[in-house]
Amino acid sequence: MARVNPDITPDLLYSIELSKQNQATASEEIATGRKLNQLSDDPSAAAELVQTNAQSSENDQFIQNTDDIQSRFQVADSTLNTAVQVMNSAISLAIEGSSGTVSSANQQAIAQQVLGLQQQMLSLANTSYQGTYLFAGTDVTTQPFAQGSSGAVVYNGNNSTASAQIANGQSVNLNVPGSQLFQNGSGSVFQSLNDLYNALQSGTGVSTAATEVQQAFDQLNSQRVFYGNVLNQLQANETFLNQESVNLTQEQTNIAGADITQAATDLSQSETAEQAVTAATAQILQMPTLMSYLQP
Amino acid sequence: MGLTSSLNIAVGALDADQGAISVTSNNIANVNTPGYTREIAELQEADPISYGNLVLGNGVQLGQVQSQRNSILQLRLDQESQQQSSSNAYLNAMQQVQTLFNETSGTGLQSSISAFFNSLQQLSTDPSNTALRQGVMTAAQDMTQQFNQASSNLTNIQANLNLSVSQSVNQINALTAQIAQANTEVTTAQGLGENAGTFIDQRDQLVQQLSGLTDVSEITTNDGSVTLTTSSGIPLVVENQNFQLATQTNTSTGMQDVYSQGTDITSQITGGTLGGDIAARDQAIPSVLSSLDSIAAGIENSFNSAQTAGYDLNGNPGTNFFATPSASGAGAAAGMAVALTDPSQIAASATGAVGDNGNLNNMIAIQNQTVVNGQTPMNAYSNLIFQIGNDVSNAQSENQGAQLAVQQIQNQIGSVSGVSLDEEAANLALYQRSYQAMAQVASVVNDLMLAAINLGDSSTQS
Repeated sequence: MARVNPDITPDLLYSIELSKQNQATASEEIATGRKLNQLSDDPSAAAELVQTNAQSSENDQFIQNTDDIQSRFQVADSTLNTAVQVMNSAISLAIEGSSGTVSSANQQAIAQQVLGLQQQMLSLANTSYQGTYLFAGTDVTTQPFAQGSSGAVVYNGNNSTASAQIANGQSVNLNVPGSQLFQNGSGSVFQSLNDLYNALQSGTGVSTAATEVQQAFDQLNSQRVFYGNVLNQLQANETFLNQESVNLTQEQTNIAGADITQAATDLSQSETAEQAVTAATAQILQMPTLMSYLQP
Repeated sequence: MGLTSSLNIAVGALDADQGAISVTSNNIANVNTPGYTREIAELQEADPISYGNLVLGNGVQLGQVQSQRNSILQLRLDQESQQQSSSNAYLNAMQQVQTLFNETSGTGLQSSISAFFNSLQQLSTDPSNTALRQGVMTAAQDMTQQFNQASSNLTNIQANLNLSVSQSVNQINALTAQIAQANTEVTTAQGLGENAGTFIDQRDQLVQQLSGLTDVSEITTNDGSVTLTTSSGIPLVVENQNFQLATQTNTSTGMQDVYSQGTDITSQITGGTLGGDIAARDQAIPSVLSSLDSIAAGIENSFNSAQTAGYDLNGNPGTNFFATPSASGAGAAAGMAVALTDPSQIAASATGAVGDNGNLNNMIAIQNQTVVNGQTPMNAYSNLIFQIGNDVSNAQSENQGAQLAVQQIQNQIGSVSGVSLDEEAANLALYQRSYQAMAQVASVVNDLMLAAINLGDSSTQS
């Protein structure tokens, strides 16, 4: 029979240490709620977690962007809504002023009302949001519309648009240039109001001016659709991003989250194992040798 | 032939038994002594005596005391110890490295790189907004600080390893001197025909300690001395002479190189704590540092060139966003810094118009561009994370394997050399009985001699 190593303590201690380690792993999982606590626990999962966390962080930013753009667009949309109402009033005044029965004095009075509408329109077109003009193209710090001495309104902004990302590979334009909204070649808001005013003053060409106002109204209305469309898009996008956020959180949990039930089972098993091995060790170490039985 | 010779046999046997009991006693005394090799008293018949054609046995004598050792197992233990200590030292260092990259709790570099790109995304919704521009500046500064911090922490770990290299070399020198001394003691004892067991035990212990520090090759020569070299053949101990190792500062890395007889042997050392420390200090950590540098340099260079293509809030052409890293990228993480001093200097505009964000969109796009050795910054970083984790995980397996191997060999050595109290008790009982029996024999012979002396004397009764 082969001789065995008489010193069994290192093996016994190793067994105890092993079950203590299992216990520590299970406790850490339960305490942190993560099965991935060190990069070395699962290197490829750790690398994947970095990517998922980056995606999740970017996704949160897209939600933030969507919210910010939404607030800006709501202001722009409601401003344009008011502008459309102003144009509506201008159309009513034009019809009133172009009817055969209206007196010259009344035409003058109507002209004054048109002037008021023009001023209101000017202030609407110069609306700013958080310190920047909404309808100045990308020249957002310059007041876009100003009335010249002739009464004609001049556009000082530019014809550019800016765009921002609202999701991966998806961008929206942030603006329609003011020139396109209020001084469109197919119907200029400010030009038509000015023409209407002049026509009413002079009493000639009022119905031509009325047609012009109608065209400008149609043009403003059709340009304004952009804001409504983007608002709808942003709303849909937000729903999508929120769903994406849920998916990414789920993915993070799948990669790094602990299976608590499993960890709890592991913990109680390792506790039992440790108790068993400790008890066994104590018993083995106390076993008498032949020495104990020798008679003096 | 006669009563006297019987008495002599008895006395000789009592001596032999006393010797055997002394060996047993020494074994029991050293039952817990690390590295002790059990000894066996080898009893042998004494030379017989001839009377004419009659040959009579002449009792027993204690031939020699033999240490029960297996030098092959000891050699394997030394080799596995080198492996275990090396992977242990490496693992310790790399575990420190891995805790620097705290990605499992989501608070590592990834979050600050993401935060920087997010701040740009945020700014793109309102490019002239000063508060948002300030947000970009803050996020950029946070990110550069994280890179600086990671880099300096890695350098600190490296510096600690460097210290440990010097300490290991000192310990190696102390041990080789002791081993050379032990060689002398072993060869002297063996030259006198004595049992050198105790000295060999001591020397084996020293060689094992040395194996924990560096890679050691052993050859035992005929006179009983052991010749030690590193695995690449650099001599450490030859007979009663030891060859000191020295450390010298490497002017390009600032690290301590290990020299033997004027030759740089740093890269040849693979085993023991020294080997593990050197591998972590000279290879693993520099590799992590260089990956970090590449990521930092990739971000810096691409942002700088994007910046200079655009216009800032005042319509001026953009200037460098970050400090310019070295051409090779070395030290980029440590030196990463924001070069812009004012939020208005961020060149968000591609056209010069303050509300334009075309250039900002170009900067945002950098996160999806392969600006770091053919990878996007985040891919390069997640690869680094994988590498660090994988490195530690491999070292863990290797360390566990080596630990089990050491344990197994120690068990094998124990099965040959370890003291068993059961055996010693049995031997003790055996020698006790034979001693008692021999004492009895002596007493009987004594009586017989007394009877012979008083032969014919009627006044005495035996």
